[in-house]
Amino acid sequence: MSTTTATRHRAPTTDIPRPGSHRQHEVLRLLPNPLLIFVLLFLGAMVLIPLLYIFLASLNSDIGVANGEFWPSTVTFENYSKIWTSVGLATGLTNSVLVAGATAVVSAAMSVSTAFVLVRYTFRGRLTILRGLLALQSVPGTLMVLPVFVLFSSAATYLGIQVIGTQWGLFVTYLTFAMPFSTWVMVTYLRGLPKELEEAARIDGASNLGVLFRIILPLSWPGIVVSGIFAFLLGWNDVLFASVMTRPESQTAAVALQIFGASQEGGAIPYYGQMMAAALVCAAPVVILYLIFQRYLVGGLTAGGVK
Amino acid sequence: MSTDASHEVRPAADTAAGRAPRNDDAGQQPGHKGGLRRKGLSERNRPLWMLIPGGALMIIIIVVPLLLGIYMSALNLDQYTLRKWISSPFIGVENFVEAVTDSPLLHAVWLSVSYSLLAMVVTLPLGIAAAVATQNAFKGRALIRSVFLIPYVLPSFVVATVWRTMLQPGGIVDEALATVGIHVGLWLNGPQTFWTLVLVQIWASWPFIYLLALSGLQSVDHEVHEASALDGALWWNKLRYVIFPYLKGPLALAFLIGMLHHINNFTLPFVLFGVPAPADVEVLPILTYVTSFQSFRFGLSAAMAFISLVLIAIPLFVYLRAVKLDDAETPGAKK
Repeated sequence: MSTTTATRHRAPTTDIPRPGSHRQHEVLRLLPNPLLIFVLLFLGAMVLIPLLYIFLASLNSDIGVANGEFWPSTVTFENYSKIWTSVGLATGLTNSVLVAGATAVVSAAMSVSTAFVLVRYTFRGRLTILRGLLALQSVPGTLMVLPVFVLFSSAATYLGIQVIGTQWGLFVTYLTFAMPFSTWVMVTYLRGLPKELEEAARIDGASNLGVLFRIILPLSWPGIVVSGIFAFLLGWNDVLFASVMTRPESQTAAVALQIFGASQEGGAIPYYGQMMAAALVCAAPVVILYLIFQRYLVGGLTAGGVK
Repeated sequence: MSTDASHEVRPAADTAAGRAPRNDDAGQQPGHKGGLRRKGLSERNRPLWMLIPGGALMIIIIVVPLLLGIYMSALNLDQYTLRKWISSPFIGVENFVEAVTDSPLLHAVWLSVSYSLLAMVVTLPLGIAAAVATQNAFKGRALIRSVFLIPYVLPSFVVATVWRTMLQPGGIVDEALATVGIHVGLWLNGPQTFWTLVLVQIWASWPFIYLLALSGLQSVDHEVHEASALDGALWWNKLRYVIFPYLKGPLALAFLIGMLHHINNFTLPFVLFGVPAPADVEVLPILTYVTSFQSFRFGLSAAMAFISLVLIAIPLFVYLRAVKLDDAETPGAKK
């Protein structure tokens, strides 16, 4: 909009290129071509070579990986059939999907309603809550893991509620730690929504809940998906809480892989091929989610700047 | 967005920016500026009960354990007394004294801060270069942007597992370096581990800087590009004097958040090196974890955790001051 006016003003005196033309790209260019190509190639190689390596090594024999082969001398898909029992990925992935999935759904639902109140109403303590949401994102997990563990084991001793070693303990923990960021994502999203629809609905006599369910929910699903995905990732990626609070049967995939990797020390040749296959399987859902929802996720990442 | 919304938000944003913590809460000024229509809506019939589920979780799982942690840091707590932790001996500040004088804590603080800074010093130029290179449109740019962000979206435990395999003695990295005649020695043991940690952290986190630098570049008006093209500015001068000033805000934010991430990063060193970690990568999160769950000195560990919270509080405080709480814009991007 402003571009066109500027062009109109200057057009008689100079030959400013039209938007979209080839020379327009030249105006935006910040680096000379050779340097640009160098930067892209360097960074592209830095990212892609390790990624390619994971895939190739997952097809390789353990001895091939140990000898530092990039291209496998023997290609086998055996690793992919072994990891389900050897690494325990069958249980691990089931638990991860259950816990992280439940975290995502509940956290998304709770953060919409919380953010709705924070954005659309004014009340005492509102800014304190907003500030708290940001501060809580940075509370280190290592600070919390011991007291939460003690709290949960006290719940077992004094109240008879057994949460340690179950998926419930993980779920509640992840849900709590996902809430600040998920809510923050929703707060930034709801602020961008026009108010007119809500006001119209209120004039028609809609209640607070009516506005939330009939107006906000249908309009904000991209934000809901993003805040759900971030909650999912928090559960999927966590090693710290899962390593302290799970038993073998409630282990998540992250812990299963970490334990498998650590147990390979000091024996014969470690099962490198299986480790890489398992790493790839654990990474795949995350990367696929990212590629599908990339446009929305990137906005969310910059909004709060938390992984 | 509607001008109406921004109009109503403004008064609250002003109090947040002005340093008057007393006027913190928008509710205290029944918005005579903000719009009369809104008053009826916001003063009565506010569904504040919707805050209860989230608030209850925060209090039970974050606030209570935080207080519990502070109390535990004053107890002589080990695996024998943990079960009945309430009745374990109270020893006051002894844990703090031991943490500072007779534990690797100070070394860990030094490692954490220096590793975070070093990683940041390298990721900043990488991220900026990537953002500058993908700023103008060319074929395949969308693909390149997606690829650049992959290291950042990969789970830390995957990144660590993969690099742990690649950096094994005689592994792919050693082989590749040997072909050009470089022999580095052990990556995962001994004094070089510190640099290994820095390197892997750089690989995993530069896309975050890229992301924020890119959003900074997109805020540069097209006219600015045209003006500097008219002036015939050399690319270097254009970057230095025209473009970089636009990046200051987003990059300052990226610096703070990045530092917080690095200092808090437990998974990467934990999975990359295992526990007990080599002494040169025993960063704060690892030390706190090992003291709890390997040495079972729970009280001491709680004291360490408390000290690291104080350390975190410094960048966090700066970050919270810089963020505009009541604005739809990217927090920290100052106007």
